[in-house]
Amino acid sequence: MLVVKGAKIYPVLGTTLERGMMIINDQGRIHAIGENLPVENGDRVLDVTGKVIIPGLIDAHSHVGMWGDGEGRPGYDGNESVRPITGEVRALDAVNPRQMSFAAAREGGITTVQIVPGSGNPIGGLGFACKTQGTVIDEMVVKHPTGLKGALGENPKRAHGHGQKQAPATRMATASMIREYFREARTYGEQKDKAREEGRPFRTDLNLESGLLVLRKEIPFRVHAHRHDDIVTAIRICEEFDIHYSIEHCTDGHLIADYLGKKGITAMVGPGLSAASKVETKDLSDENPAILARHGVDVCLMTDHPFLNCRYFLHYAAIAHKYGLPFEETLKSITINPARALGIEDRVGSLEVGKDADFLVLGGEPFSYKGAILQTYIEGQRVWEREVY
Amino acid sequence: MLGIRDVTIVTMQNGTMTKGDVLLADGRIKAYGEAVDLAGCERIIEGRGRVLTPGLIDAHTHLGLSESGVGREGTDTNESTHPLTPYLSVRDGINMQDQAFESFRRAGITTVGILPGSGNILGGTGLALKCRGDIVDDVVLKDPIGMKAALGENPKGLYGERKQSPATRMGNAALLRSALLRAKDYLNKGEDHPRDPQSEALIPVLKREIPLIIHVHRHDDITTAIRIANEFGVKCHLAHVTDGYMVTDVLKRGGVYCGVGPTMHYPSKVENKERDFRTAVVLDRENIPFCLFTDHPVVDGRNLVLTASIATQWGLSDESALAAITVWAARYLGVENRVGSIAVDMDADLVLWSGNPLELTTFVDMTIIDGEIVYQRGMQPC
Repeated sequence: MLVVKGAKIYPVLGTTLERGMMIINDQGRIHAIGENLPVENGDRVLDVTGKVIIPGLIDAHSHVGMWGDGEGRPGYDGNESVRPITGEVRALDAVNPRQMSFAAAREGGITTVQIVPGSGNPIGGLGFACKTQGTVIDEMVVKHPTGLKGALGENPKRAHGHGQKQAPATRMATASMIREYFREARTYGEQKDKAREEGRPFRTDLNLESGLLVLRKEIPFRVHAHRHDDIVTAIRICEEFDIHYSIEHCTDGHLIADYLGKKGITAMVGPGLSAASKVETKDLSDENPAILARHGVDVCLMTDHPFLNCRYFLHYAAIAHKYGLPFEETLKSITINPARALGIEDRVGSLEVGKDADFLVLGGEPFSYKGAILQTYIEGQRVWEREVY
Repeated sequence: MLGIRDVTIVTMQNGTMTKGDVLLADGRIKAYGEAVDLAGCERIIEGRGRVLTPGLIDAHTHLGLSESGVGREGTDTNESTHPLTPYLSVRDGINMQDQAFESFRRAGITTVGILPGSGNILGGTGLALKCRGDIVDDVVLKDPIGMKAALGENPKGLYGERKQSPATRMGNAALLRSALLRAKDYLNKGEDHPRDPQSEALIPVLKREIPLIIHVHRHDDITTAIRIANEFGVKCHLAHVTDGYMVTDVLKRGGVYCGVGPTMHYPSKVENKERDFRTAVVLDRENIPFCLFTDHPVVDGRNLVLTASIATQWGLSDESALAAITVWAARYLGVENRVGSIAVDMDADLVLWSGNPLELTTFVDMTIIDGEIVYQRGMQPC
């Protein structure tokens, strides 16, 4: 057993412990959390008196391990944008756990991450959730798949219409191709069911299998959308097919927050702190997370690493807090909200008995510059510690 | 005349005082200190104990050149048609209507260095500008501040891909050297020869009137930059200096001024895989002069003070972190006699903060440039 003591603990779910203790078992799970817990002989003790503990952060949308940080082109595997519909590709097959971006994630306090394919394709492939420590990706996986990536707006148009003179060249075509994909997947599912009933052999189509998972509500459709009308289009299509979905980026969400609140959507908001690099992001606002949350949107922050360097995820949260996202809501937006949105809240997202002992030791209050991350723990193991330069 | 009453004044040159007042007139700081006579002011701003600092300075940006929210049509950063274009001036490419200017004012940035991109070995001259107004010529603080040069991956990648020189780091260095050599010959020949715009543009560099501002990330590019500058006896500032912590002796011997950034950006290339706050912390400890910059829009300029805050988490003192985005940035640009600190007769470029400027949740409440309020929190821009 490992006993962590002396710190103020924000468990996220449950009350804040001023002089909190956690007992962590040898399987890396939280055995007990509270104040004045009994310590037995033989327990290792981590005394972090005066420090602050929060759960390990969950980055709701990232490209760690697949964008080639510091490696140039050979390490880049983000977008299979040679054709627009690629439901068959999986981020899981492209992620290099030894890539330096994983160390960056641990430094940034990110212990769990959803990794998704890029946004060059209207249908981009499957994403998954994993821990950020390890060398074999299959051993790091928390859940696979966690969603099917889709994309609206400028990126698919640029990758295909402008780059290769093929559809989609307009927002209209992007929407129609997504619709056509789900229609095909629906027909495919019906034929598959029928074949099974009749005991006939059936040829598996990996591209449409992913769409079928979405249609059967086993995974959500995760739609990249920045501009307000792209967000509205995403919702329109998802309602037509009666599927679960999240809006990825949701940059203009603050312009249509009433509508999004009424729809009760989940939004993965970010990358924070970024520049308005495209026309479709010209109205980006640091107030976006606060405005969305105020209108009832389920807000999960995300780095979209490398577009916000994931080392600075907690700083993005601090800025969201500065611009009006309440303290508790801000903490939730980087822990339990994304855990729930990814369907992994039984393991991560808060510090509770039975959950993984993924936590951060901070030098002070979260969202203060004195609250730098000093140590990152995954399943009771220290996986990163601040170096003194 | 504008008065500011009851503020904690962080002068950056002469310590910090609580309960101070400041008097501004004709765009300058006329007086500051305890109980300054503010009678006769048309307006007095009540500080109520809030913090007043000099306006922040982002010494290396592409503000107005790489416009925000515009896409391709608003990009005028790199004239990547020839590797030697020293005769260009960023002044001819800056769109003062770039929406990022307003976000800079909101972030307390009053002066920026604007430079051409790093696609070319010699990219043209950069300038220092106040973040206000509609006409670039009305708000230039200093032009030129230096001649932009670049080593490393960018030029060799851009031209090498087209099977043109430079295709290697050797080619980078050879092109820079031969351009300087040709300009030296040109200068020595006097008036009696046909005009050569490339060499003409390099004369202020050879005469040590302006520095070369050399884009370098990798340690060996840093060394090459200093080697070439020494060969020609020219002044040299370095930009980025990602690997700087590895070659502090070289930096000291070279006597160069380092602009460090964009520290928050991810390692986008092989040559910047060491990108980190380590260099800023080590340069500070080794007394090598440096400033921090964002390279906007590579890191959005509104994160300049956040960059300084993060630097403190790695061990830079609060004082050094603030200096790195004010007075030291002014020195990097050669404008420290006008901006970057609070002193009598300096430009009235000031920021009023809701609390400690380095605290992540502190707001800029007011930004003043040349004695005029250019941003006030809660007020829509006109």
